[in-house]
Amino acid sequence: MVNATVPSPMQVKSNAQAGILKFSSWGFVAFIVIYLLTPIIVTLLMSFSDASALRFPIREWSTKWYGDFFASPQWTDALLNSLMIAVGTTVISTTCGVVAAWAFEKYEFRFKPLLYLLVMLPLFMPGVVLGLGVAMAMGSADILGYQLYGSRLIVMLAHSLWAIPLVFMLMETTFRTVDHRIVEASYDLGGRPFQTFFEIVLPSVSTGIVSSALFAFVISLNEFVMALFLTTRDTQTLPVLMWLSLRSAGTPRLAVASVVLACTVIISLAIIMVWHSRQLRKAQA
Amino acid sequence: MNIAGPDAAATYEAARRRARLREKLAPWLLVSPALAITLFFFAVPIVYMARMSFNEKIDQRFYVPGFTFDHYSSLLTDSAFSNAIWTTAKLSFGVSIATTLIGYAFALLVWMKPRRWRFMFIALALCPMLISEISIIFGWWVFFPRNGLLSYVLTTMGLLSDKVGLLYTEYAAFVGLVYLILPFSFFILLSLFDGIDKKLLEASSDLGASPIVTFYEVLLPLTKGGIAASFAQSFIWAIGTYATPSALGPDTLWTIGYLIQEQMLSRHNWPKAAAFSMVLAAGVGVVMMMIRSVSAKRTPING
Amino acid sequence: MSDKYALELVGIRRCYGSVVAVDDVSLAIERGEFVTLLGPSGSGKTSTLRLIGGFENLDSGSININGKRVDHLPAYSRDTTTIFQSGALFPHKTVAENVAYGLRMRGASKSETEKRIKEALQIVRLAGYEDRYPNQLSGGQKQRVALARSMAVRPAILLFDEPLSALDLSLRLQLRAEIKRLHQELGFSAIYVTHDQSEAMAMSSRVAVMKQGKIEQIDTPSNIYNLPANEFVYTFIGENCSIPLRVSGGQAFDLSGTTLNLSLSSSLPDGEWRICVRPSRLRLTCRDGAENRLVAKLQFVEFLGDVHRYHLKSGAVELFVDQPGEVRANPGDTIEVGWSNADMRAYR
Repeated sequence: MVNATVPSPMQVKSNAQAGILKFSSWGFVAFIVIYLLTPIIVTLLMSFSDASALRFPIREWSTKWYGDFFASPQWTDALLNSLMIAVGTTVISTTCGVVAAWAFEKYEFRFKPLLYLLVMLPLFMPGVVLGLGVAMAMGSADILGYQLYGSRLIVMLAHSLWAIPLVFMLMETTFRTVDHRIVEASYDLGGRPFQTFFEIVLPSVSTGIVSSALFAFVISLNEFVMALFLTTRDTQTLPVLMWLSLRSAGTPRLAVASVVLACTVIISLAIIMVWHSRQLRKAQA
Repeated sequence: MNIAGPDAAATYEAARRRARLREKLAPWLLVSPALAITLFFFAVPIVYMARMSFNEKIDQRFYVPGFTFDHYSSLLTDSAFSNAIWTTAKLSFGVSIATTLIGYAFALLVWMKPRRWRFMFIALALCPMLISEISIIFGWWVFFPRNGLLSYVLTTMGLLSDKVGLLYTEYAAFVGLVYLILPFSFFILLSLFDGIDKKLLEASSDLGASPIVTFYEVLLPLTKGGIAASFAQSFIWAIGTYATPSALGPDTLWTIGYLIQEQMLSRHNWPKAAAFSMVLAAGVGVVMMMIRSVSAKRTPING
Repeated sequence: MSDKYALELVGIRRCYGSVVAVDDVSLAIERGEFVTLLGPSGSGKTSTLRLIGGFENLDSGSININGKRVDHLPAYSRDTTTIFQSGALFPHKTVAENVAYGLRMRGASKSETEKRIKEALQIVRLAGYEDRYPNQLSGGQKQRVALARSMAVRPAILLFDEPLSALDLSLRLQLRAEIKRLHQELGFSAIYVTHDQSEAMAMSSRVAVMKQGKIEQIDTPSNIYNLPANEFVYTFIGENCSIPLRVSGGQAFDLSGTTLNLSLSSSLPDGEWRICVRPSRLRLTCRDGAENRLVAKLQFVEFLGDVHRYHLKSGAVELFVDQPGEVRANPGDTIEVGWSNADMRAYR
């Protein structure tokens, strides 16, 4: 107790260190917050500029570029293409990824490690390599008169190369949490594997499925390198159009496109999350 | 029904074989959709590209069937191309160090701060992941130039007398790339920190260690593996990304990704683009092998 | 092979690597019989049940249900249902939906399903719980729903996989009596797996005692208790005092070589023996004409409610005697313990 009033030299040093650390940690917080928010704020500000050039300071504020964006068929078509491709990718990759993950969880079969590597590998490949490969190999492919190259389908499939391994990885860990006893109980009561999968397994992993589907959706909506190689003027996605117009001349319309794209992501996330938590609550009520 | 006689036994055997076969086929049936897409849109294109990279380029045609190592050897002989490899490696290395350092500090901070801050920090870290690369490029693109926000803020605050334009510099490319890749490092490292018992820190300071000693003696050894994983992951992302450096960096900042795109879209030189792609894919493969051998822990890469 | 058996196992065998979990087990269960597989953990009783249910594949042998061979069929094609230890209710389905599941899978009509749900829930005394979710039920209620769910499809045979072991004692006793009552009322055929011998004794028409993948004895509970086939069955069922000794020239010694003050009415051949008697059949008084006697010293007395348990020691031999009534001796006293020939078994 006597010692407490007279701190040892070690304690003084330690206290000083703690003070410096505390100070620098707040400095770091400020840095990271500013760094992560800068491009977002810059874009938001710019989207409300009245000027035609991208320059600061902004003298006049208006929403005229928003009007301009939604009045331009080129830009709204691109947004629509993006949405269609993202939805398609989500459906394809969630279906494929979920059933493949179930096979990996439920069965033992030959070449399992090799298959695992093969399915996961595209996730680590640069978009430029994947896009180029698909463009070269499938460039002249047409199936029963359907020109694959330049179609939305080919972009969905290319995006699925990233989305499938993501869904697969997430669902593999999710399936491990499924109570195998309720699966056995279903078989026991006469549920065939197909019925068991849909009635018992899927409902107990719904959160995992919804989140992996969201991942797939966001990835596809935002991707533009593969889409750049695989789309034509008619099937161009919004990010591709943004990239091409950034290369020519920028106007605040680009800022509006950025905001619209980000809002699409955030709104879809919010809608799905609210819907899903309501479903869950209904089931538990 | 009584089972007797050879007929019944044969029926039973057949039914048994069918059941076994079903059991064997089921997993393949389930894997087949994912496998088909991976094979047709990944394996086939890679093989096709590998073949394409040996074809010849004559005149204005995309390619002429043939067999030559020219496109690969040009990577070594043509200084413009060999410089690109060097540039890519240097840039990726620097970016990986930066993302790992910042990501480490950020993850440590989120882990140490009270839980009520956590959600906010994680939402913040998710921003670069939820925003398209093109939007990120655009954001920095209006931040850095002479008429950008940076220059405006610095001059109005009186820190600079003249406008400054940092767009199309290596500095801008670096900042943009780090921004793009930071969340991947951050989440790898945060998941690692979340596995550490915070009581270790209390125990260490109880025993009289200062915060800095605690960091070196306790935290750093526990997070070594994560640092390696984060670095490697960043490196893979960085070498494959070409849009950000080419849009924000100077015209002289040629990365492999940029070369591939240029050969394909502007020069229409398919064999060369394929050859460069193969080199890039091989680079990614080598880094993945390195992660595999370094980390014994189960990661997405080593199954 | 006959139709009178609900279930017939013929030489079934299952190995995991080098471990033989189920070793050449044969068993026939008549319609309406309630047979318990009893054994310590690792004795193969649960593996046997899982083989019958179709959750594991046989290595050899055959399984017949109602005279039809089923061992090549998957679980969902077999006319059996299991009541699992954990209940394994579907958490996202209501009680009624849980009970309806098996009926739906078998393609029962809507009106038939409704009728059977009502019936099954009434049987397990859970009428009115149709719309609850499993997480709104107590442990005992969950097991009743599991029971209703399995019974609703009226399988050829019900399989019970230690369904009561996760419940606390009073609930266990209550549900045990209820299953017994249901069996008497409905007359279903069942196999019940447990490691709790009192459960086995109380409920079964026959008990099969298992050890290391084999059935050691199968008989009615009273025969198992009174006429055990071997020492394992004897020691596994009920409490037991074992007196290890060596007989040489008509004289008994304990294993350290000290002479025991033991008189047996029938003389044993020379060699090492274990004499087994139930503690409840040992008597502290010799007035009632016990044929066999041992003089021992009283160590201490435990109070067990209905009886006192006297711990005795004679040489290196320790044993205990359960005796109702007042304590009539003090620690350190020398007492004579007696038992009748009918209650004694000698194994070597």
